[in-house]
Amino acid sequence: MKPRRRLQRWLTGVAFLLPNIAGFCAFTLVPLVMSFAMAFTNWDILRHNLFRHDPLRFVGLANFARLFADTEFWRDLGNTLFFLLGLPFAIAGSLIAALLLTRVAKGRAASGPLLAVATIVLVASAAVLVVGGFSRNGVLGLFGLMAGAVLVAGLLSGGTAYRTLFYLPHFTAGVATFVLWKKLYNPHTGPFNTALAPVLDGVSAMVRAAPAFFTYGLPALCGCAAVAIVLWQENRLRRRWEDGEAGTAAIAAGAVTLALPLACFLRWQGWSLALALGAAAAAAGLLFGVTVRRPRPWGRARSIDAGLSSELSLALVGVPLLLAITGGMLAGPALPAMAVAGFEPPNWLGEYAWAKPALMIMALWAAIGSNSMILYLAGLSNIPPELYEAADMDGASAMQRFWHITWPQLAPVTFFIAVMGVINGLQGGFEMARTMTLGGPAGATTTLSYFIFSQGFETGRLGYASAIAWVLFGLVFVFSLVNFRFGNRDVND
Amino acid sequence: MRRTLLFSLLALTLLSAALYWTKPENRSTGTVLYWMTQNDAVKRETVALFRQWLVEQGLPPVEVRIDHSNQDITKKLVQGVSGVGGDLIDLYFSELETMQATGMLTDLTDLARREGYGTAMTYPAAYSDITVRGRQYGFPRNVDVTMIWVNRDTFARYGQPEPPQRWSWDEFEECGKRFVAAANPPGTRHRVYYLNRVWPYVLRRGLGLSTFNETMTRCTLDDPRNVEVLRRMYRWTVEERLMPTAADQAAMAADGTAFDSSFGLFASGRFAMIYEGLWALIRLRPLGDFRLGAVEPFTGGFANTEIGSGAVAVYAGSKHPVEARRFLQFLASEPFNLLIARSGDSLPPVPKYASRREFLEPPGYERDWAAKAEFARAGTTIAIAQSKSPFALPSVVYKIDGSAAEAVIAGQRTPEEAAREETQRINAEIALTISQDAGLRHLYDEQVARQRQIDARRAAGRKVPAAWISDPFHLAYYRAQGWLEEEPPR
Repeated sequence: MKPRRRLQRWLTGVAFLLPNIAGFCAFTLVPLVMSFAMAFTNWDILRHNLFRHDPLRFVGLANFARLFADTEFWRDLGNTLFFLLGLPFAIAGSLIAALLLTRVAKGRAASGPLLAVATIVLVASAAVLVVGGFSRNGVLGLFGLMAGAVLVAGLLSGGTAYRTLFYLPHFTAGVATFVLWKKLYNPHTGPFNTALAPVLDGVSAMVRAAPAFFTYGLPALCGCAAVAIVLWQENRLRRRWEDGEAGTAAIAAGAVTLALPLACFLRWQGWSLALALGAAAAAAGLLFGVTVRRPRPWGRARSIDAGLSSELSLALVGVPLLLAITGGMLAGPALPAMAVAGFEPPNWLGEYAWAKPALMIMALWAAIGSNSMILYLAGLSNIPPELYEAADMDGASAMQRFWHITWPQLAPVTFFIAVMGVINGLQGGFEMARTMTLGGPAGATTTLSYFIFSQGFETGRLGYASAIAWVLFGLVFVFSLVNFRFGNRDVND
Repeated sequence: MRRTLLFSLLALTLLSAALYWTKPENRSTGTVLYWMTQNDAVKRETVALFRQWLVEQGLPPVEVRIDHSNQDITKKLVQGVSGVGGDLIDLYFSELETMQATGMLTDLTDLARREGYGTAMTYPAAYSDITVRGRQYGFPRNVDVTMIWVNRDTFARYGQPEPPQRWSWDEFEECGKRFVAAANPPGTRHRVYYLNRVWPYVLRRGLGLSTFNETMTRCTLDDPRNVEVLRRMYRWTVEERLMPTAADQAAMAADGTAFDSSFGLFASGRFAMIYEGLWALIRLRPLGDFRLGAVEPFTGGFANTEIGSGAVAVYAGSKHPVEARRFLQFLASEPFNLLIARSGDSLPPVPKYASRREFLEPPGYERDWAAKAEFARAGTTIAIAQSKSPFALPSVVYKIDGSAAEAVIAGQRTPEEAAREETQRINAEIALTISQDAGLRHLYDEQVARQRQIDARRAAGRKVPAAWISDPFHLAYYRAQGWLEEEPPR
């Protein structure tokens, strides 16, 4: 090719790329560099702007030092990390959704009948609303109708209707869904509490009718469940240790997972924090000792952190479950007295204890039908069918097929989803909190991104806000590093 | 491909041109002013009346356009410092200091005096809402006193006595408990509240405590009186459920904000009383013909309530400063003041119009007459402006104060912890502000020295010169206690 022609082609290429490069520089690179510089200055929108030009001072690490002494920062960091606990559930939910969708038989396209069903549903829904208004019967009728319509649409169209419905939360505008969920959570008129109220009335009647069961029976049942879970996990850990699947760190993490709820139980019983933690540490040590007491039979030497990621993932599900059981043990005896006045449905967004879980439930709903589900669907379609055929010939059960074929084969997808989930989780939460709770009650739903907004634009301290943003970046970086270090072991295997 | 790209480019160019040609400025024949405010009936009427007033004054026409989508404080701030703020900016109680600190507001001190809308034209209690350190930056659109509105029909429905005109905390608690017990019989869900909200600083003032000391150089909330206020708020909100939590109220809002919903809930009887300004009439009038009353906020000893104003300021980056200032001139005129008097949108900014018949007894609104008289009386007797320290942004102080009460109500802090924590945080704000603003540092040092003098005089049981006290509450409290020396010391 002639040099002139080559130059012409190069210029054409650059011309096409230029808008994108300019956009990147203007809206990403320059703000990024500026925010880094601002984090070390006293830049305040009130004193450094178009109308006021106070001298800008380099303050070194003062913004960062102030940040670490700021109680609001620690509270909001705690909130952000708490919201991240929903990630494993979101991943599990989207995997289950993808697995279910792959099982739906692919029927032939039936757009005609589908459209007819959709039209009937819309007209009937409107009629239900006209007749029942937003009364309990109207809303319940509408839900029933919608559920029936989904079923019929699924039967007619195969998996297409379900796939579309599952993916619906992803392409619905964020703020619109937040407003919708705010209405769903309304403690007085929201459908959640409308549906919960009669259930809770029934439960309180039940508790009033059999107070002895809740005073003694429920704590006993919960205690048995806790013991069963501890035994199962101990057995599982020992097996993995002996099979060489788990290293010392994984066994320690598993033991701590089991001991952590014990510390909460003792603390809730009025023990001092030090004593409760001491007892839990002793229990963890005992479990660890019992698990690793025998040397590995085959002398298989694995690295210390082998299997750590799966133990940590399990802990994210196991700890809340054990805490719920612990709560059942403690709350059981108090229930009969509470039932006298009747149980009230929660004030989802208004109570400190409920606001975070309420937002997590909503986020979970959105996350299940998100890109993660699409990625899992793609991943599932890439698993070679021969693997399943071979497992069938070996007489593998459905669970064994899942644990030994599906799950390992999906490891790269899971790893990618986990990394992206952590990054988005740490950065997110602003729109949700701003629309639904304004960060309340008492800061229960204020995340780091909301804190950045509040410092930057409500008090005007852009330097300080930039410092928080860079600390957030550091957190994202560290979490991603940990993920890459421990999370992708199965991927490489 | 090339044709598609060319076609796209052409289409975008044409659309851009069309957009430019259809810009509101290009369609208007005269000057266009943008007013960042709410879009309600009174504002629309104000705009129409301004146009008419200009004609009557023989002045060139000016078109005022209401920009209601950018009235959030963060939008006003960001747009203003970026050079694209509205020509006229509405400011509410704690926004003036924030906006003024940026330098985006025009200093009107001398011009206002010359053009007839100086501080002398309005209520002395409204000074702090239009001035910062003695300089004027706006003029009130209205002046608002906050009282407790009573839905008399709701009290009659549950057979409960209406509250007295002046009452104590204990009376409030006792009457409130009886009311909620009658309105929410056993076995039913708690749906009816006695009052929608109350502001902690009004309660504190009832006990003689302000957010700041006399010179506003230090926060004084780490005080047993503030602890008592927080304890009472917890009891009234969580234990006795006389008032909803802020979140409860937000949850009750089927549509819009908690703030919007309180009027509907008041009209429907879910709130027996609401703590709002006179402007609430604008919202209440369309909601039905229920019987209304107004009483003073319950007090811990020192009767008080809040007075504040919604001010209009001129943006320093306005392309039409003369026309914008003319709008402020209009706010001091008779036609505008009579509009406010008629509409029920608080007190007219010029005090003389509050004693006119148009304000006290507007025809067609006989129901409101008694309440209006109460508001007018409270405005000149018990109303005190907010305490706004020049050393900490009022919006930040307000937020910290609110979050302390919220933390107590949510059970996250004891009243003692919350009081201690908010004092530390507000004092840390003061320290941060003066460390970053050399100009303020000098003033701060002067005021700290003055505070020492005040403390010494008080310790010696001597009176304190009025000119030494900058906190409006302390000024009123000292005067009521006879501790004030009205003449400056020789």
